[in-house]
Amino acid sequence: MLKYTLRRWGAMMLTMFIIMSLSFWIIRLMPQSIFENPEVAPEIQRLLEAEMHLDKPMWVQYYYFLRGIITERDFGRSVKLRPGMEVFKVIVSRIKPSMVLNFFSLILAIPAGIILGTIAALQRNKWPDNLISFLVVIFISVPSFVFGAVLQYLFTFKFPIFPTLYNASASSFREMFRSLTLPIIALALGPAATIARYLRGELIETLNSEFLLLARTKGLTRTQAVVRHAFRNSLVPIANTMIPMITGIMGGSLVIERIFAVPGMGGQLVESIVVGDHFLTVALLIWYSAISLITIFIVDISYGLIDPRIRIGGEK
Amino acid sequence: MIVDRNNLPEDIRDLPESCFEIVGSEDISDEPFKTEAIGFFKDAIYRLRKNKLSVIAFWLITAVIISAIIVPHLTGYSPTAQNLAYRNLPPKIPGLEKLGIADGTRILTNRPKASLSEFPEGSIIQIVREYKASNVDMVDVKVDYYKFVGVPEGEYHWMGTDYLGRDLCTRLFLGARISLLIAFFAVVANIIIGVVYGACAGYYGGRVDMILTHFAEILDGLPYLVVTILFMLLFGSGMFSIVLALTVTGWIGTARLVRAQFYRFKGREYVLAARTLGVRDRALIFRHILPNAIGPVITRAMISIPGAIFSESFLAYIGLGIKPPNPSIGVLLSDGQRVLLQYPYQTVFPAVLISVLMVSFNLFANGLRDALDPTQRGEI
Repeated sequence: MLKYTLRRWGAMMLTMFIIMSLSFWIIRLMPQSIFENPEVAPEIQRLLEAEMHLDKPMWVQYYYFLRGIITERDFGRSVKLRPGMEVFKVIVSRIKPSMVLNFFSLILAIPAGIILGTIAALQRNKWPDNLISFLVVIFISVPSFVFGAVLQYLFTFKFPIFPTLYNASASSFREMFRSLTLPIIALALGPAATIARYLRGELIETLNSEFLLLARTKGLTRTQAVVRHAFRNSLVPIANTMIPMITGIMGGSLVIERIFAVPGMGGQLVESIVVGDHFLTVALLIWYSAISLITIFIVDISYGLIDPRIRIGGEK
Repeated sequence: MIVDRNNLPEDIRDLPESCFEIVGSEDISDEPFKTEAIGFFKDAIYRLRKNKLSVIAFWLITAVIISAIIVPHLTGYSPTAQNLAYRNLPPKIPGLEKLGIADGTRILTNRPKASLSEFPEGSIIQIVREYKASNVDMVDVKVDYYKFVGVPEGEYHWMGTDYLGRDLCTRLFLGARISLLIAFFAVVANIIIGVVYGACAGYYGGRVDMILTHFAEILDGLPYLVVTILFMLLFGSGMFSIVLALTVTGWIGTARLVRAQFYRFKGREYVLAARTLGVRDRALIFRHILPNAIGPVITRAMISIPGAIFSESFLAYIGLGIKPPNPSIGVLLSDGQRVLLQYPYQTVFPAVLISVLMVSFNLFANGLRDALDPTQRGEI
C-alpha cells in the first residue's frame, strides 16, 4: 500500500509540475501579456519588469517562477485587478465566500440526494421513482447557470424574497447567508441529482442480493432491511462520487459566483481572465489544479483501501 | 461421390457406385428461417424505438437541428446587423399577439405624466398606475413598444431584439447552429483521435501500450477546466480554438475504452484465423477488431455531445467564447444574464433551447446506451 501511495504521489507531483510549466509557457508566449498600461511611465515600467524578472531570458524567468512558488509561495503580484498586491494574498482573501457557499450547498445536496435516491430505489418503477428520475435527468442535464438565472429572476424580482446579489457588507452572518441562499440552491441541484442517481442504482443492485433476502427472512420489514443493511453497503461506491464534491469546496463555481456576484475564487478567476491579469490567472489555475489532483489522489487511495485488488495492480 | 472409398474395409472397396444407397432423406438440410434475421443494429434500433423518451428526445434534437439550419434564413433579419433605434424590443409573434402573449407591449415605469403627450400616436395602451413623486405627477404606462420606437407595422421580432437591436430569433438559431457544430466537430475529433490511439495501444500492447497509456494518464491528470481555459487563452477566442481546447484531453476516455475492447478481442480465434490468412495489421485493427467497439464508441460520442455544448456555453460565460459578433447559445445566455431583471425574455429563449438540447441528448444517449448494450439483446 505504501508503495502504491508513493507512486500515486509521485505521479501527482509530476502532473503538478507539468501544469505549472504549461501555465507559465502559455501565458508568457502570448505577446505583451504582462504590462499594457499606458499610464505607467516607461522608466517605472522597466523598473517593475526588472523587479519581476521580466527583463531576463525566458528560461531564467521560468526558473524564478518555479523557485518562487516552491520556496516562498510567491506567485507574483496582481497587475490589473488588485495592482501591487501579492497574488497569494488575493487568493487567501477570496477563499472564505467560496468555501461558505460550497460548504452549505454540499450540506444541502448530500442529504437531499441520499433521501431522494433511497425513495426512488424503494419505490422502483412506481410514480415516486419516475418523478425523481425525471427530476434527476433535468437537474443533471440543465446547466447550473440556467438554474441560477431562473432562481434569480423568480425569487429576487417576481417574488422578492432574497437579495439579487451577494451582500458583501452584511453586518451579520444571517444577512450574508440570506444573500447566499439562491446560489447555494443553484449549486446544490446538480450534486444532489448525481448522488440520487448513483444511490438508486447501487441500492437496486443490492436489493437483489442474498444477504438482503436473509435480512428479510429474519423478519425485518423492507424499509428496515434497506436502511440497516443495503444502505450501508451502497455507501462505499457513493463515497467516491462524494469525494470530488467535498474537495471541490476549496474551489468556487465560476459561473454561479459571477451571476450572484459572490467575491469568491471562481469569480476572481473569471475576472482575471477577462481583464488579463495573468499572474493571478496562473495562480488560480494552479490552485484549481491542486484541488483536482488532490481529489484524484484521495479517490485512488480510497479505492486501494476499499478494494485490495487495485493496490497490487497497475500492471496489466 | 457419396462415400470416401479409402475409409471402407478392403473387401468392399471396389464395389460399384450403384451398390450404395442413401438411407433416409435425400436432402439433409435445416429448415429455412421463417422470420427475418435480426442483426445487432436492427435489434438495437428496435429496442431504441421501444424507449418512448428516447424517441421523443430524438425528434426534439432533429427539430432543433432543422430549425438551426433553416430559421436563420427565414426570419429575413441579419444576425449581426445592428439597429440601435430598435434596441431591446420585446417579443412579438403574429397570431399570438391577439391573445395578449408576445404582443410587443411593455410597461414603462416612472414617466412624468406630462411627457405622455410626446409619446407616438397610438402607442399608449393603458395607464397602469398614477402617483406623485416630489410634486410631479408620475405614471407607469403600458405601451405598444413597437409603435413607441417607430417600428413599421407588420415587422415582427419573434423573440425580440437584443441590446444592439439585433433580431434574437435569428441569432438564437444561428447560435444553436454554431454551438451544435462546435459540439459535433469536437466530438468527431475526440472520437477519431481516441479510436486510433486506443487501437494502437490495445493492438500492439507491450512497450507501445505502456508508453501510450502512461502519456494518456499524465494528460488525464490535468484538470479539464484548467486545460480548457489555458488553451483558450493560448489559441484566442473563436470556433476553431474551442474545438481544439475541447480536444486536448477530451479523447482520452474514448482511447481507454477502445484499448480495453482491443484487449478483449485481439486474442480471439477469428483474429488468429485472419492473421494466419495473411491479413495486415491495419485491416485487422480496423476491419476485424474495431467493429466490436463500435457500440460503446457511439454511446460515448452521444454522451459527450451535451458535455461539449455545455463547455462551449460555459466558456462563453467566462468571456472565452467565440468571437463577436457571431452568436452561440452561451454568448446569448451570458448577454441575456446582464439584463435578466429588465428584459427576462433575452435569457428565457436561449435558456429553454439549451435545456431542451441538453435533456434530449442525455435521454437519447441513455436510450442508445441501453439499446447498444449486447447483454440486453433480445429484451424489450
